[in-house]
Amino acid sequence: MKLKPWKYVVAVWMTGVIIAGFLISIPNIPILKQSARNLFFHVPMWFTMAVCFAAGLVYSIKYLNGPSPELDRKAETATQVGLLFGICGLLTGSIWARFTWGTWWTFAEPRMNLSALGMMIYVAYFVLRTAFDDPEKRAKISAVYNVFAATTIPFLLYIIPRQLPSLHPGAEGNPAFSDITAPEMRYVFYPAVVGFIALAVWLIDIMNRYKKVRHQIEQ
Amino acid sequence: MIFSLIQAQEDTTAAVDTLTKAYSNKWDAASNLQHANSVLKAASSHDLIFIVLGVTLIIWFVLLFFIIRVDKKLGKLENEMEQSNVKSTS
Repeated sequence: MKLKPWKYVVAVWMTGVIIAGFLISIPNIPILKQSARNLFFHVPMWFTMAVCFAAGLVYSIKYLNGPSPELDRKAETATQVGLLFGICGLLTGSIWARFTWGTWWTFAEPRMNLSALGMMIYVAYFVLRTAFDDPEKRAKISAVYNVFAATTIPFLLYIIPRQLPSLHPGAEGNPAFSDITAPEMRYVFYPAVVGFIALAVWLIDIMNRYKKVRHQIEQ
Repeated sequence: MIFSLIQAQEDTTAAVDTLTKAYSNKWDAASNLQHANSVLKAASSHDLIFIVLGVTLIIWFVLLFFIIRVDKKLGKLENEMEQSNVKSTS
Protein backbone atom coordinates (compact mmCIF):
# COMPACT_ATOMS: atom_id res chain seq x y z
CA MET A 1 0.00 0.00 0.00
CA LYS A 2 1.63 3.18 -1.21
CA LEU A 3 0.60 6.74 -0.57
CA LYS A 4 0.35 9.29 -3.33
CA PRO A 5 3.84 10.71 -3.98
CA TRP A 6 2.91 14.34 -3.19
CA LYS A 7 2.24 13.33 0.40
CA TYR A 8 5.86 12.29 0.87
CA VAL A 9 6.88 15.62 -0.65
CA VAL A 10 4.73 17.41 1.97
CA ALA A 11 6.33 15.34 4.76
CA VAL A 12 9.88 16.16 3.66
CA TRP A 13 8.97 19.79 2.85
CA MET A 14 7.47 20.46 6.29
CA THR A 15 10.44 18.79 8.00
CA GLY A 16 12.69 21.16 6.07
CA VAL A 17 10.55 24.15 7.04
CA ILE A 18 10.75 23.23 10.75
CA ILE A 19 14.53 22.78 10.63
CA ALA A 20 15.06 26.00 8.67
CA GLY A 21 12.63 27.87 10.91
CA PHE A 22 14.66 26.96 13.98
CA LEU A 23 18.13 27.33 12.54
CA ILE A 24 18.01 30.35 10.21
CA SER A 25 19.83 33.25 11.80
CA ILE A 26 17.53 36.16 12.54
CA PRO A 27 18.40 39.63 13.79
CA ASN A 28 17.81 40.26 17.48
CA ILE A 29 14.71 42.43 17.87
CA PRO A 30 13.97 43.79 21.36
CA ILE A 31 10.96 42.17 23.11
CA LEU A 32 10.44 39.66 20.27
CA LYS A 33 13.92 38.09 20.50
CA GLN A 34 13.89 34.45 19.30
CA SER A 35 10.07 34.40 19.41
CA ALA A 36 10.19 36.17 16.04
CA ARG A 37 10.52 32.62 14.68
CA ASN A 38 6.84 32.18 15.55
CA LEU A 39 6.24 34.05 12.29
CA PHE A 40 6.98 30.73 10.53
CA PHE A 41 4.41 28.78 12.52
CA HIS A 42 1.73 31.11 13.91
CA VAL A 43 0.98 33.17 10.81
CA PRO A 44 0.68 30.19 8.38
CA MET A 45 -2.06 28.82 10.69
CA TRP A 46 -4.25 31.77 9.67
CA PHE A 47 -3.30 31.56 6.00
CA THR A 48 -4.19 27.87 6.00
CA MET A 49 -7.43 28.52 7.83
CA ALA A 50 -8.42 31.15 5.27
CA VAL A 51 -7.69 28.78 2.37
CA CYS A 52 -9.70 25.96 4.00
CA PHE A 53 -12.67 28.23 4.71
CA ALA A 54 -12.53 29.53 1.13
CA ALA A 55 -12.60 25.93 -0.13
CA GLY A 56 -15.56 25.24 2.15
CA LEU A 57 -17.34 28.28 0.72
CA VAL A 58 -16.76 27.07 -2.85
CA TYR A 59 -18.12 23.59 -2.03
CA SER A 60 -21.13 25.08 -0.25
CA ILE A 61 -21.97 27.28 -3.26
CA LYS A 62 -21.49 24.28 -5.54
CA TYR A 63 -23.83 22.32 -3.33
CA LEU A 64 -26.50 24.99 -3.57
CA ASN A 65 -26.12 24.94 -7.37
CA GLY A 66 -26.38 21.16 -7.66
CA PRO A 67 -26.97 19.29 -4.41
CA SER A 68 -25.03 16.07 -3.83
CA PRO A 69 -23.94 14.37 -0.59
CA GLU A 70 -20.33 14.44 -1.78
CA LEU A 71 -20.24 18.24 -2.03
CA ASP A 72 -21.77 18.54 1.43
CA ARG A 73 -19.10 16.20 2.82
CA LYS A 74 -16.34 18.19 1.16
CA ALA A 75 -17.68 21.51 2.45
CA GLU A 76 -17.90 20.10 5.97
CA THR A 77 -14.39 18.65 5.89
CA ALA A 78 -12.73 21.80 4.55
CA THR A 79 -14.47 23.79 7.29
CA GLN A 80 -13.43 21.27 9.96
CA VAL A 81 -9.78 21.42 9.03
CA GLY A 82 -10.00 25.21 8.68
CA LEU A 83 -11.40 25.50 12.19
CA LEU A 84 -8.65 23.20 13.47
CA PHE A 85 -5.98 25.51 12.08
CA GLY A 86 -7.86 28.59 13.31
CA ILE A 87 -7.90 27.23 16.86
CA CYS A 88 -4.17 26.49 16.58
CA GLY A 89 -3.73 30.11 15.46
CA LEU A 90 -5.64 31.41 18.48
CA LEU A 91 -3.70 29.24 20.94
CA THR A 92 -0.29 30.03 19.46
CA GLY A 93 -1.20 33.72 19.30
CA SER A 94 -2.22 33.68 22.95
CA ILE A 95 1.03 32.14 24.15
CA TRP A 96 3.03 34.53 21.96
CA ALA A 97 1.08 37.50 23.36
CA ARG A 98 1.84 36.44 26.94
CA PHE A 99 5.58 36.85 26.41
CA THR A 100 5.60 39.89 24.13
CA TRP A 101 2.54 41.91 25.15
CA GLY A 102 2.49 40.57 28.72
CA THR A 103 -0.99 39.02 28.69
CA TRP A 104 -2.60 35.78 27.55
CA TRP A 105 -5.63 37.68 26.32
CA THR A 106 -6.57 41.33 26.04
CA PHE A 107 -9.91 42.76 25.07
CA ALA A 108 -8.09 45.86 23.84
CA GLU A 109 -6.67 43.92 20.88
CA PRO A 110 -9.22 43.86 18.03
CA ARG A 111 -7.54 41.19 15.90
CA MET A 112 -7.45 38.75 18.82
CA ASN A 113 -11.09 39.20 19.75
CA LEU A 114 -12.48 39.34 16.24
CA SER A 115 -10.63 36.17 15.23
CA ALA A 116 -12.08 34.45 18.31
CA LEU A 117 -15.50 35.67 17.20
CA GLY A 118 -14.85 34.27 13.73
CA MET A 119 -14.00 30.87 15.22
CA MET A 120 -17.23 30.94 17.23
CA ILE A 121 -19.22 31.64 14.07
CA TYR A 122 -17.67 28.50 12.59
CA VAL A 123 -18.26 26.46 15.73
CA ALA A 124 -21.93 27.42 15.30
CA TYR A 125 -21.77 25.83 11.82
CA PHE A 126 -21.07 22.44 13.41
CA VAL A 127 -23.65 22.98 16.13
CA LEU A 128 -26.17 23.78 13.39
CA ARG A 129 -25.26 20.57 11.54
CA THR A 130 -26.10 18.46 14.58
CA ALA A 131 -29.59 19.97 14.74
CA PHE A 132 -30.95 18.09 11.70
CA ASP A 133 -31.66 14.39 11.27
CA ASP A 134 -32.55 14.69 7.60
CA PRO A 135 -29.24 14.75 5.67
CA GLU A 136 -30.62 16.83 2.76
CA LYS A 137 -32.09 19.45 5.03
CA ARG A 138 -28.87 19.53 7.06
CA ALA A 139 -26.75 19.89 3.94
CA LYS A 140 -28.84 22.68 2.44
CA ILE A 141 -29.21 24.81 5.56
CA SER A 142 -25.59 24.39 6.62
CA ALA A 143 -24.47 25.33 3.09
CA VAL A 144 -26.46 28.57 3.35
CA TYR A 145 -25.02 29.22 6.81
CA ASN A 146 -21.50 28.51 5.55
CA VAL A 147 -21.87 31.20 2.88
CA PHE A 148 -22.78 33.65 5.64
CA ALA A 149 -19.93 32.47 7.91
CA ALA A 150 -17.32 32.73 5.15
CA THR A 151 -18.36 36.28 4.25
CA THR A 152 -17.75 37.44 7.84
CA ILE A 153 -14.12 36.26 7.85
CA PRO A 154 -12.62 38.95 5.56
CA PHE A 155 -14.30 41.65 7.64
CA LEU A 156 -13.41 40.17 11.03
CA LEU A 157 -9.81 39.27 10.20
CA TYR A 158 -8.66 41.65 7.51
CA ILE A 159 -10.79 44.79 7.34
CA ILE A 160 -11.90 45.83 10.85
CA PRO A 161 -8.57 45.13 12.64
CA ARG A 162 -6.82 47.45 10.20
CA GLN A 163 -9.15 50.32 11.06
CA LEU A 164 -8.49 50.12 14.80
CA PRO A 165 -5.42 50.84 16.93
CA SER A 166 -3.66 47.53 17.57
CA LEU A 167 -0.45 46.04 18.94
CA HIS A 168 -0.62 43.21 16.43
CA PRO A 169 1.57 43.74 13.36
CA GLY A 170 -0.64 44.56 10.42
CA ALA A 171 -2.30 47.75 11.51
CA GLU A 172 -0.14 49.30 8.78
CA GLY A 173 -1.60 47.02 6.12
CA ASN A 174 0.27 43.73 6.01
CA PRO A 175 -0.68 41.35 8.80
CA ALA A 176 2.48 39.24 8.72
CA PHE A 177 5.21 41.75 7.98
CA SER A 178 6.05 45.11 9.42
CA ASP A 179 9.14 47.28 9.10
CA ILE A 180 10.82 45.41 11.98
CA THR A 181 10.51 42.06 10.19
CA ALA A 182 13.82 40.95 8.72
CA PRO A 183 13.48 40.45 4.94
CA GLU A 184 15.37 37.11 5.01
CA MET A 185 12.58 35.61 7.11
CA ARG A 186 10.44 35.55 4.00
CA TYR A 187 12.61 32.72 2.63
CA VAL A 188 11.27 30.45 5.35
CA PHE A 189 7.87 32.10 5.80
CA TYR A 190 6.49 31.52 2.29
CA PRO A 191 7.59 27.85 2.15
CA ALA A 192 6.00 27.42 5.60
CA VAL A 193 2.70 28.82 4.29
CA VAL A 194 2.83 26.45 1.29
CA GLY A 195 3.77 23.51 3.53
CA PHE A 196 0.99 24.06 6.05
CA ILE A 197 -1.61 24.50 3.30
CA ALA A 198 -0.41 21.26 1.70
CA LEU A 199 -0.65 19.55 5.10
CA ALA A 200 -4.23 20.81 5.41
CA VAL A 201 -5.03 19.43 1.94
CA TRP A 202 -3.64 16.09 3.08
CA LEU A 203 -5.84 16.08 6.20
CA ILE A 204 -8.87 17.10 4.12
CA ASP A 205 -8.12 14.23 1.72
CA ILE A 206 -8.00 11.68 4.56
CA MET A 207 -11.23 13.00 6.11
CA ASN A 208 -13.09 13.01 2.77
CA ARG A 209 -12.07 9.44 1.96
CA TYR A 210 -13.06 8.31 5.45
CA LYS A 211 -16.48 9.95 5.08
CA LYS A 212 -16.95 8.40 1.64
CA VAL A 213 -16.26 4.89 2.96
CA ARG A 214 -18.58 5.51 5.90
CA HIS A 215 -21.29 6.71 3.50
CA GLN A 216 -20.89 3.56 1.39
CA ILE A 217 -21.17 1.33 4.45
CA GLU A 218 -24.28 3.14 5.66
CA GLN A 219 -26.08 2.53 2.39
CA MET B 1 0.44 3.92 66.78
CA ILE B 2 0.56 6.63 64.19
CA PHE B 3 2.04 9.17 66.55
CA SER B 4 5.04 7.05 67.37
CA LEU B 5 5.62 6.31 63.70
CA ILE B 6 5.92 10.00 62.88
CA GLN B 7 8.17 10.35 65.87
CA ALA B 8 10.40 7.57 64.65
CA GLN B 9 10.68 9.16 61.21
CA GLU B 10 11.72 12.51 62.58
CA ASP B 11 14.35 10.92 64.76
CA THR B 12 16.05 8.98 62.01
CA THR B 13 19.10 10.33 60.31
CA ALA B 14 17.62 9.16 57.00
CA ALA B 15 15.70 12.43 56.60
CA VAL B 16 17.12 14.02 53.47
CA ASP B 17 17.22 17.72 52.83
CA THR B 18 16.02 17.80 49.22
CA LEU B 19 15.40 21.52 49.13
CA THR B 20 18.98 22.70 49.35
CA LYS B 21 20.87 19.59 48.27
CA ALA B 22 20.55 17.36 45.23
CA TYR B 23 19.82 13.64 45.65
CA SER B 24 22.98 12.69 43.89
CA ASN B 25 25.87 14.22 42.06
CA LYS B 26 24.60 13.09 38.69
CA TRP B 27 22.84 16.47 38.21
CA ASP B 28 26.28 18.05 38.21
CA ALA B 29 26.62 16.79 34.67
CA ALA B 30 24.43 19.64 33.46
CA SER B 31 27.05 22.19 34.47
CA ASN B 32 29.93 20.16 33.05
CA LEU B 33 28.88 20.22 29.41
CA GLN B 34 32.21 21.73 28.40
CA HIS B 35 33.82 18.42 29.40
CA ALA B 36 31.24 16.32 27.53
CA ASN B 37 31.97 14.75 24.16
CA SER B 38 31.85 16.84 21.02
CA VAL B 39 28.35 15.70 19.96
CA LEU B 40 26.83 16.86 23.23
CA LYS B 41 28.86 20.05 23.07
CA ALA B 42 27.53 20.82 19.60
CA ALA B 43 23.97 20.02 20.72
CA SER B 44 24.19 22.43 23.64
CA SER B 45 25.57 25.35 21.65
CA HIS B 46 23.55 28.34 20.38
CA ASP B 47 21.49 28.79 23.56
CA LEU B 48 20.12 25.22 23.32
CA ILE B 49 18.07 25.98 20.19
CA PHE B 50 18.96 22.50 18.86
CA ILE B 51 17.25 20.93 21.86
CA VAL B 52 14.00 22.75 21.04
CA LEU B 53 14.41 21.70 17.42
CA GLY B 54 14.89 18.09 18.52
CA VAL B 55 11.76 18.14 20.67
CA THR B 56 9.74 19.72 17.88
CA LEU B 57 11.01 17.24 15.30
CA ILE B 58 10.13 14.29 17.53
CA ILE B 59 6.56 15.60 17.87
CA TRP B 60 6.36 16.29 14.13
CA PHE B 61 7.65 12.83 13.16
CA VAL B 62 5.29 11.06 15.56
CA LEU B 63 2.31 13.01 14.17
CA LEU B 64 3.52 12.41 10.61
CA PHE B 65 3.90 8.69 11.26
CA PHE B 66 0.36 8.64 12.62
CA ILE B 67 -1.09 10.52 9.62
CA ILE B 68 0.68 8.21 7.16
CA ARG B 69 -0.52 5.13 9.03
CA VAL B 70 -4.16 6.33 9.05
CA ASP B 71 -3.89 7.22 5.35
CA LYS B 72 -2.58 3.74 4.51
CA LYS B 73 -5.23 1.99 6.60
CA LEU B 74 -7.90 4.05 4.87
CA GLY B 75 -6.43 3.12 1.49
CA LYS B 76 -6.66 -0.56 2.41
CA LEU B 77 -10.27 -0.12 3.51
CA GLU B 78 -11.09 1.65 0.23
CA ASN B 79 -9.62 -1.26 -1.73
CA GLU B 80 -11.68 -3.76 0.25
CA MET B 81 -14.83 -1.72 -0.35
CA GLU B 82 -14.10 -1.56 -4.06
CA GLN B 83 -13.50 -5.29 -4.32
CA SER B 84 -16.69 -6.15 -2.43
CA ASN B 85 -18.62 -3.75 -4.70
CA VAL B 86 -17.20 -5.43 -7.81
CA LYS B 87 -18.13 -8.84 -6.43
CA SER B 88 -21.67 -7.80 -5.59
CA THR B 89 -22.33 -6.23 -9.01
CA SER B 90 -20.81 -9.05 -11.11
